[in-house]
Amino acid sequence: MEEVRIGVYVCWCGTNIAKMVDVEDVTRKIGALPGVVISKNYKYMCSDPGQELIANDIREHKLNRVVVAACSPRIHELTFRKALEKAGLNAYLFEMANIREQDSWVHDNREEATRKALDLVAAAISRVRHHEPLDKRSVSINSATVVIGGGIAGMSAALEIANAGKQVYLIEKSDKLGGLVNHFDLTYPYLYDAGSMLELLIRRTTCHPNVKVYLNTVIREVHGFIGNFETTLHAGTRKAEKLEFGNIIVATGLKPFDASRVHQYGYGRLPDVITSVEFENMLHTGEVLTKAGKIPQNIAIIHCVGSRNPGFHEYCSRTCCMVALKFANQLRSLLPDANIYDLYADMRAFGKGCEELYTTTSRKKITFMMFDQQEELPQIIKSVVPDDPPMLIFFREKISGIGVEVPADMVILMVGVEAHPDVKEIAHAVGISICGNSFFIEKHPKLDPVATTTGGVYIVGACQGPKGISDAVCQAKAAAARVLGTINQSSVHVEVTTAVVNESLCCGCQTCNLVCPYTAIRFDKDKKVSYVNEVLCKGCGTCGSTCPTGAIRSKHFTDQQILSQIDGLLTMALKQE
Amino acid sequence: MNRIDPNLTRDLRKFGIRDWNDCYHCGTCTATCPLTAQGFLFPRKEIRLMQMGLKGPISTSVEPWLCYYCGECSERCPRKANPGELMMSLRRYLTSLYDWTGLSGKFYTSKIWELGFIIFFALLVILAFILILPPLDTTLTDQGGVKINSFAPPDLVEYFDWAMAFLVASLLVSNIFRMYLRVIWTGTKQRISLVEHVREFWHLVFNFSVQPKFSKCEDRSYWLYHWLLMSGYTIMFILIVVFLPWFQTENIFPAWHPQRVLGYYATIGLLVGLGAAIIGRIRKKEIKFEFSHVSDWLFLIMLSLTVITGILIHIFRVNGMPWATYISYIAHMAILVPMILIEVPFSKWSHLAYRPFAVYFARLKKSTMHQSR
Repeated sequence: MEEVRIGVYVCWCGTNIAKMVDVEDVTRKIGALPGVVISKNYKYMCSDPGQELIANDIREHKLNRVVVAACSPRIHELTFRKALEKAGLNAYLFEMANIREQDSWVHDNREEATRKALDLVAAAISRVRHHEPLDKRSVSINSATVVIGGGIAGMSAALEIANAGKQVYLIEKSDKLGGLVNHFDLTYPYLYDAGSMLELLIRRTTCHPNVKVYLNTVIREVHGFIGNFETTLHAGTRKAEKLEFGNIIVATGLKPFDASRVHQYGYGRLPDVITSVEFENMLHTGEVLTKAGKIPQNIAIIHCVGSRNPGFHEYCSRTCCMVALKFANQLRSLLPDANIYDLYADMRAFGKGCEELYTTTSRKKITFMMFDQQEELPQIIKSVVPDDPPMLIFFREKISGIGVEVPADMVILMVGVEAHPDVKEIAHAVGISICGNSFFIEKHPKLDPVATTTGGVYIVGACQGPKGISDAVCQAKAAAARVLGTINQSSVHVEVTTAVVNESLCCGCQTCNLVCPYTAIRFDKDKKVSYVNEVLCKGCGTCGSTCPTGAIRSKHFTDQQILSQIDGLLTMALKQE
Repeated sequence: MNRIDPNLTRDLRKFGIRDWNDCYHCGTCTATCPLTAQGFLFPRKEIRLMQMGLKGPISTSVEPWLCYYCGECSERCPRKANPGELMMSLRRYLTSLYDWTGLSGKFYTSKIWELGFIIFFALLVILAFILILPPLDTTLTDQGGVKINSFAPPDLVEYFDWAMAFLVASLLVSNIFRMYLRVIWTGTKQRISLVEHVREFWHLVFNFSVQPKFSKCEDRSYWLYHWLLMSGYTIMFILIVVFLPWFQTENIFPAWHPQRVLGYYATIGLLVGLGAAIIGRIRKKEIKFEFSHVSDWLFLIMLSLTVITGILIHIFRVNGMPWATYISYIAHMAILVPMILIEVPFSKWSHLAYRPFAVYFARLKKSTMHQSR
């Protein structure tokens, strides 16, 4: 084994580190440790001159390991790895000691903080001796894409990719495209016709030469990894068809909440209590009538049915308030003399055109009233007094604190949205996670909102969380851009710090298969051992720590590396005692 | 249970309410109001009741009368919903609710009814003068003044004054009783003891004579103007109803004589108060004067005309101009009589009773709040 030559660089981070840690002292003491060839400190190691310093020393002093004591590796590990590569050294022969977040920022005793810095740097030096060079790997990309779900988001994503000249397979569970938007009459806030918009999109999708639509079809299992997926389509009794593709876009949407669960509203018991979906159909036919065929004179709209209530769903379904305002507008045009009551929990009118919709609606003789969504839901009862409207809604009006009754011939329940019952199967099939509300989880809520932790799998539309049409389409197009970007590269880099199974030590217990969050480990039935698909593996280390025989080794996080890091920490600490 | 009635707002519109839906209940108005207090929150609460059309709670509420319309709330309202004007309109509405004859509602919501009533009684007065007029005596007194008592015998006029005062007072008292029934009987859960009624009574007297609540509004000048107007009117009222034979005299007293001093004070008080209100309503600089209901203008115009004709009677009499004096006298009465008949029991002027009684009732209600605590 070649001689280990370590270069150590202590960063001041301006005064962030230097004011609490005696960087000169650390530099001097560390320089005396075995294997340390050179030990320096500098005002800003991450700056260009700082990086230049490392690169020059590597060339000049023939360094083959580098330690930087600075901030969190989350911030600058990549920066220094690149500096190593520039000087011709493998990026993984590097270790960072965090003496800012874990030291100077959180302590107020300079002497103690300096001691801690020494411990941390010594640990990093001890670890870096055992680092091995790791090589970057890449896989080729199949340019076809599967889109699961033929709603407005799925179609938008499919069309975007197809227009770029790439093949798309659009898989829809039901017998027609369009999803939930099929039930809508007009859209908010501009009251555009949903039907004509959808029809156009469906025609474009079905006629597109690059889009192949599979109706009445489901996917149960997906094999492979980014760039190289494969699946079998299940379509009733028809012969199963095999597909190969490089990326997956999940656009399975959500379904309306089941209003009969809120017993106070009597949905299913009282004939003229209807859901917003049923009312949309009524508006679509142009006939707003009670079950008895009469024109309603008192119409109440109740918001937040199934939403924002711990008994049902805690989340806001996000679109219902605006749909309710849209209803109020449409009702006012259809029935100019009717009494329209809007019972809301909170009026949520964010976004372009929405507050304006509220303002215009509030001027149309609509009685807005607030109820307490958490404590006291309104009660709808059948009226027993003759000549009274058939239903009475009782509730405590929240702004005035007064108990009131609202007469009604028709009650529209603004039902929220919730996950499809088969959401777990979809998540399992494509290898993504679901949150407590059964929405798919994105890779990062702010910085990577359409990707998932599984490479090549994207989530768009309401299946990621309740949202309106505009937002769903935005996500669809964003995911399409991500997919096209990957296809354009023709190959993608994959994680190198993966896990490896030592076949001679593996006992075939398959514990690792169960714990892997990325379904990257499978069992080889012939050899009776588990093996890691290195493309799917993200190097989280869960399998390595679970393996009872120690057969799994996590690259860059080997037992030897971690133990010697601890060793270095304790040795230096003892020495300082 | 309180039933929501969207049509109530349609009716309230006639009493001067504009766009009640502009309010989004931030509560700035109530926070700004120098008069609102625990247990008697306004104006936001009243706006809410109005938006929902809750006639029951509105009709039993005393709060509109506790507002003196300084306009601070409307000034600060971020939605320009004019809470002050909404309170003003509610006072008109409540006046019509208290009135059992139903005339108040008619006068507030119909110009034809209001003007018709005024013209009818004005003509009636003129007719009465023509029919029962004694032979005109155009000769002058020794001092050179008009012999006014020969034209309108003071004892006769005083009988008429007493009759009218009795009529107007009984109407007003019966309406106050109806207000009491609503606010205290229907609007309060607990019964209030007679002792409590007696103990709190001095609030009624105190508020009637000084209007201390009005003076809590930020701009105190209006309290002063209002007080001058009110005290001037009260003095004149007492002089005319109680002391008419002494006040309506053919003697021309020296300038320092109480008959003249009191008369001049009352006239100046009335003129200053009226002037401030009229100028304010024309300039529309303060929010409280921005919106004028027909009843607001009618009251100001009629009272001004009454004062002007009164001054003319005095000038013409002292300067020995019999015809001018008599014509002024008829005009004075033709304006005064319908004004008193319409304003005191049915319209704007009824606030002279409703406001102090509201403070009294509020004190009574408050005593039950303490008990329940």
